[in-house]
Amino acid sequence: MPDDSLTLDEIRRMAAEIGMTRLTDGQLRELLRATRTARARRAALPLASLGPADEPAHVFRLRGEDGR
Amino acid sequence: MTDLAWLTVAEAAELLRGKQLSPVEYAKALIDRIDRHDGTLNAFLRFTPEIALEDARRAEAEIARGAWRGPLHGVPYGLKDIIDYAGLPTTAHSKILQDNVATADAPVAQKLKAAGGVFMGKLSTHEFAIGGPSFDLPWPPARNPWNRDHFCGGSSSGAGTATAAGFLPAAIGTDTGGSVRNPASMCGVAGMKPTYGLVSRRGVLPLAYSLDHVGPLTRTVRDNALMLDLIAGHDPLDPGSAAHAAGGFTAQLDRGVKGLRIGVIRHFYVRDMEADPEMAAGIEAAVAKLAGLGAEVREIQTAPLGEYLACNRILMTSEAFALHEKWMRERPQDYGALARERLMAGAFVRAADYVNASRLRRKMADAFHALFSGIDVAVTASSMDPPCRIDAPQAIEYTYRRQARAPFNITGGPALSVPVGFSKAGLPLGMQIVGKPFSEAVVYRVAHAYERATAWSERHPSL
Repeated sequence: MPDDSLTLDEIRRMAAEIGMTRLTDGQLRELLRATRTARARRAALPLASLGPADEPAHVFRLRGEDGR
Repeated sequence: MTDLAWLTVAEAAELLRGKQLSPVEYAKALIDRIDRHDGTLNAFLRFTPEIALEDARRAEAEIARGAWRGPLHGVPYGLKDIIDYAGLPTTAHSKILQDNVATADAPVAQKLKAAGGVFMGKLSTHEFAIGGPSFDLPWPPARNPWNRDHFCGGSSSGAGTATAAGFLPAAIGTDTGGSVRNPASMCGVAGMKPTYGLVSRRGVLPLAYSLDHVGPLTRTVRDNALMLDLIAGHDPLDPGSAAHAAGGFTAQLDRGVKGLRIGVIRHFYVRDMEADPEMAAGIEAAVAKLAGLGAEVREIQTAPLGEYLACNRILMTSEAFALHEKWMRERPQDYGALARERLMAGAFVRAADYVNASRLRRKMADAFHALFSGIDVAVTASSMDPPCRIDAPQAIEYTYRRQARAPFNITGGPALSVPVGFSKAGLPLGMQIVGKPFSEAVVYRVAHAYERATAWSERHPSL
């Protein structure tokens, strides 16, 4: 579900904290929508299915004997 | 002679090799067609007839002296404008990179040059392969050749439009969440997202490092396999490149589907999302056709579509934002609104969420690949809806999310979108044929058998 609790003022502060200080109000509204969407996506992840041994797909791998 | 606009790569190769067709004559015919019609379709972001004619003259001289290089020799092609072609700008359809001139060819471009292809130009894309169709960029968006008022899909939009419009028999696109297969589906052509790492991503502007794939769009399945044969292969300088034998993708084309086991992922387009009735009917008719051709068809289950999509988007936007953060700080006004909003979705994804999405990716991929102990390929929807109007932002946003392509960027195996008919409004319908990693040959085999049993690839838009 979309997270509607985030406000424009909060997103303006969050944007400033990562150096995004040049966004217009219209662009901040885009960022607000985008962030709400991202939070909804996080909520859709079935995290309960993960166990400690489930490693990320991008785990660091040294080159092996295949010569790569 | 056949209308040159509708020659397939395979047909053109026969004529060119036998000197029944001149590469220069062929190139001039397509240049003329592009000149006449691309003003309203916008498939090309940078049309390069001067390079095409130079390539064509070279091919003509080489073929005349018996030095035929293979099936692309003297055949026109185009590249999505996030792929480097030395000496030309790689703009990603963005003001940000308007002057970004490539100093070297991407390996994909190198391979097509070495194969003797005739380079026609750089093709439209959604901005940075994510934001489109946009009307607030330096170049207009590509349109659907079946109806110019409709969306042609993306982000490899120009590649879909150009092949469907008879501007090119083959084009190269890229696919991070479905960007080869979406325009393929919307434009009624074949589009392959090959196995992750099968085609080099070097020299291709990244959208998301762990999900980016390069693949061909063509009007026929055979041509698609021919093109993939040309561009696949290990690249030691691409960290994601697979050290796996590549090629032979046409080897099984004519073996039919009798006895092959096909799993239908019906829950993607019936339960997880409800596809448009015409789209669902097209897919079901295709499944019935494959069964009629002798395949053993049964329904299979995988994770819900929404879980795959969430996983794909969290990984994609996080990786993309890492690349775009500097520009977002310094030049936010130089992005189109759609790309800016979609890219900014990665700004505040927590590190733990990114890592957990990656953990889920491995788990989902392993579980999906295990299904292939009981099947040879799977089929499912590509888009849930026929192409909507290009000037309807709400419909664009609605249909953009309604797709079943991103799961296979997560799982990494090959996924091919093929036409399965037309809506009552005359717009293309499509479905996907999906394999386990490195099983492109069997995916093409199934697709070719279906294509031969139907006549979809013989229908062309009138411009």
